[in-house]
Amino acid sequence: MHNTSKYAPTDKMSDLICGDYTLLQVLSRFDLPLGFGDKTVQEVCQENEVDCYTFLAVVNFLTEENDRMEDNVQGLSMPSLMNYLKQAHTYFLDFCLPTIRRKLIEAIDCSTENKVAFLILKFFDQYAGEVRKHMDYEGKMVFTYVDNLMAGRDTNGYSISQFARHHDPINETLTELKNIIIKYYPSQGNNHLLNAALFDIFSCEQDLASHCRVEDYLFVPAVRKLEKEGK
Amino acid sequence: MKRIEPVHVAVAETSVIVRSGLVAALKRLPDLTVQPIEITSTEGLQNCMQGHQPDVLIINPTFGGWFNLEEFKANNPQALTKCVSLLCSVTDSNLLKGYDESIGLYDDVETLNKKLVALMNIGEEETDGEQEALSQREKEIICCVVRGMTNKETAEKLFLSIHTVITHRRNIARKLQIHSPAGLTIYAIVNKLVELSEVKMNL
Repeated sequence: MHNTSKYAPTDKMSDLICGDYTLLQVLSRFDLPLGFGDKTVQEVCQENEVDCYTFLAVVNFLTEENDRMEDNVQGLSMPSLMNYLKQAHTYFLDFCLPTIRRKLIEAIDCSTENKVAFLILKFFDQYAGEVRKHMDYEGKMVFTYVDNLMAGRDTNGYSISQFARHHDPINETLTELKNIIIKYYPSQGNNHLLNAALFDIFSCEQDLASHCRVEDYLFVPAVRKLEKEGK
Repeated sequence: MKRIEPVHVAVAETSVIVRSGLVAALKRLPDLTVQPIEITSTEGLQNCMQGHQPDVLIINPTFGGWFNLEEFKANNPQALTKCVSLLCSVTDSNLLKGYDESIGLYDDVETLNKKLVALMNIGEEETDGEQEALSQREKEIICCVVRGMTNKETAEKLFLSIHTVITHRRNIARKLQIHSPAGLTIYAIVNKLVELSEVKMNL
């Protein structure tokens, strides 16, 4: 896989980030710290005991311009990949969404006269609840299932196909919130704060969408391969 | 007028040049927003059909040696996926039976657009920008929805059939790009269709 992909283990880590700054998120989700100087991807991974192959698989998937169903999942480290996905969940639930909420409160006039502001916040809270439910399900059902699968334990008849079919994208409601603010929020005068909140929503929306695609096109095929090997 | 809801198109073709080229062209279609997914192996195709099934599968008939459309349909009986052949060489027309449509290497963007719009059954009205304003009836329906009424209650109040109410709601969602009751509530209040006090508050 590596010789046909965009990034190889011998590339400089700093070049990866400068080529696409959204990869910073991947770095922190793999627990890779900054400050790596001129070290290569392989060196940085080794120092931090991260599976280099899995890291590059995610990086190359995300930097490819179009989505591709990964069919060469040989060599992926499932614990690494799951840890990456779990870290992403923590990021969304405990950092990204609360930050957006705080910025929204700062940006919109939350006095009792402003009914819309109040409704927007309620809408947002409801959405955050949905995301939490979605990710809790993945944590409880899917990751536990894969853990059991790897350990050779009984899996109670669950299979990854059940997840794959019902795995709905969770960024759609956020898209709707964004549209509502853009089209209908009667803002007064200075928009800096509202723009900042919107920028955050746009980037969170994209981040959520690509997170779901990593699950659909990289994680699910890898789990399927595990299932086949177990049989 | 471009349709915003994305059409999921899977492109199964082993040549990276042809595949990427087609995907790039699909992204430029004037009337459709296409969300493409590239497929490079038979296994990948299987994975794709076991997850979220695409609306359209564009496949080279020589994919995986020879793509057996009948067997594919038999294996995925539930699938609503439309199958389109991607012709890169002269192919016996007998072998193309069963495909819903066929595209060739020299089709231009306009032709691609026309074929996909026809396949997806997108009517004239949907691609026509003139009808984007809400009708009086649709506004009445929004008022009922945000007051927390069910489709049945709405139908009774406005003397409509439930079927009509559902159709109206679908049109509202499409015109406003708002799908949730909570979103409709915000729309209704901003546009002064209802007062905050009338709204059912457990959004």
